Amino acid sequence: MRRIGLLLSLLFCLAAVPPARAELVVVVNARSGVAVLSRNEVINIFFGRYRQYFNGLEAQPVDLADANPERARFYQKLVGKDLAEINAYWSRQLFSGRMQAPPKVASTEEVLRWISAHPGGIGYVELSKADARVRVVYELEH
Amino acid sequence: MPDIDTMGRWRRCCGRVLLAGLMLCGAAARAEHHDADFSLRGFGTLGAVRTTSDELEFVRDLSQARGATTGWDARVDSVLGVQANWRITPQVEAVVQGVSRYRYDRTFRPEIAWAFVKYDPTPALTLRGGRLGTEFFMLADSRLVGYSYLTVRPVGDFFWHLPFSSIDGGDVALTVPLGEAVVRGKLFYGLANTKLPLADRQWDIGGSPMAGGHVEYQSDAWQLRASYANIVFKNDLPLGGLGLSPEGLAHLAVDGKRSDYYSLAALYERGPWQFQLMLNHIVQHSNAFESSDGGYVLAGYRIGALTPYLGYSRVYSRPRDNTLGDPTVAAVMRDSHLDQRTTIAGVRWDVMPNVALKAQWDGIRGDGGSLFPYRNDPADRRWSGRMDVFSVTLDFIF
Repeated sequence: MRRIGLLLSLLFCLAAVPPARAELVVVVNARSGVAVLSRNEVINIFFGRYRQYFNGLEAQPVDLADANPERARFYQKLVGKDLAEINAYWSRQLFSGRMQAPPKVASTEEVLRWISAHPGGIGYVELSKADARVRVVYELEH
Repeated sequence: MPDIDTMGRWRRCCGRVLLAGLMLCGAAARAEHHDADFSLRGFGTLGAVRTTSDELEFVRDLSQARGATTGWDARVDSVLGVQANWRITPQVEAVVQGVSRYRYDRTFRPEIAWAFVKYDPTPALTLRGGRLGTEFFMLADSRLVGYSYLTVRPVGDFFWHLPFSSIDGGDVALTVPLGEAVVRGKLFYGLANTKLPLADRQWDIGGSPMAGGHVEYQSDAWQLRASYANIVFKNDLPLGGLGLSPEGLAHLAVDGKRSDYYSLAALYERGPWQFQLMLNHIVQHSNAFESSDGGYVLAGYRIGALTPYLGYSRVYSRPRDNTLGDPTVAAVMRDSHLDQRTTIAGVRWDVMPNVALKAQWDGIRGDGGSLFPYRNDPADRRWSGRMDVFSVTLDFIF
């Protein structure tokens, strides 16, 4: 009976813990003065269309390397695009001489370090990884 | 006999492209340990194209001297480019791009496509000076970067009138937020720096002033643009030796004559869908060229790594009647005639990161006098007007 109870509670735990990966959020430097961004503003910054916050501060996005699965999830949720399409977009911007893609780092910890080192820094991390150095300004839809 | 000649040329071309590729890869490998301020990257396409017509030769645009017929041809679409970006300060960046592709002089001789300094005094303002890409139409400054777009090459009926790829000059771009949307305006001015092939001759348009600008509206999945550009040709067409009278030559003069390029473009990209609609209106102020209208629609839908696409394009020009009653003058004037429509179907396969494989069919149906986009026109300046074009490309970036 106890064993069944244990099994049941284990099953309950498995059901309660969402099998989906944790929620991704967009974070900025905690001292940037930015409190919230809209989806369009996040798109404008990450795609290099317009990189200035409402208070005049320049937005400085940082991206993750392709090898990090969070990069694919971020762009899929933000614009519904595959990494191949995102990379094609940046090849057009780069080789037409207009602009370079945001710098890439390998891990969430590096994203957080990069943001805290740049006043206008902005990146995306799992909600649970967002610490005091950054402020959550946008939650990506599930 | 032309087969042997073609094969030899084909082999030489391939050899050169491969050699250049190896050299560039070596350079890229050496530069791998770059810091964030310097980067060396590149793009390329290995392409093969054949048509169903031996009447005339299919080219990618009017900058190419010879084109494809019924045998597979690697010259039309193959290209290799390498670009160095050097960020001197957070606001100042220098960019140099070298490109090797089949060009007006029938070689793959590498050339400097861009070489400019970019200055961003604020996030909203960008100034560039040096050798720059021209955006005569939307996407025109990335026509060689096959990896960046869906089709094997920019849609012919729209883009192949554009033999100009760069100017020596400057441009200024201003970006202004409009609610959550963005409005971007750009103005450019400079001098052309190329030659164009005409039959077995070359027309030097170097030094021809080019100017233009556009306004673009970007919101979420939409990108809308209206643009205008012009060129005032320097130098007349190389028409000596055709037996033209002095009156005929004067009638066909293009030196000092302007061409105006108007265009509207709409792009929509959301989730798996991609749509493009572009329209252009070109006014030629010389008698040697006919004014034209063109446009295309293109739609793609991604399914995993595969993106099948369909498109349709149309272009036509208005013949001029003032031929002076001179058959030679009339023949030269007929060479710029356009009247055709093209159905496009293809698929892009993103095989692995930074590599795409594409296959495409173009069904060209037009008037027998639609000669302008082609090379090696038939002697009587008429053809069947029917051509199917089969293309495969391997596009990559590194």
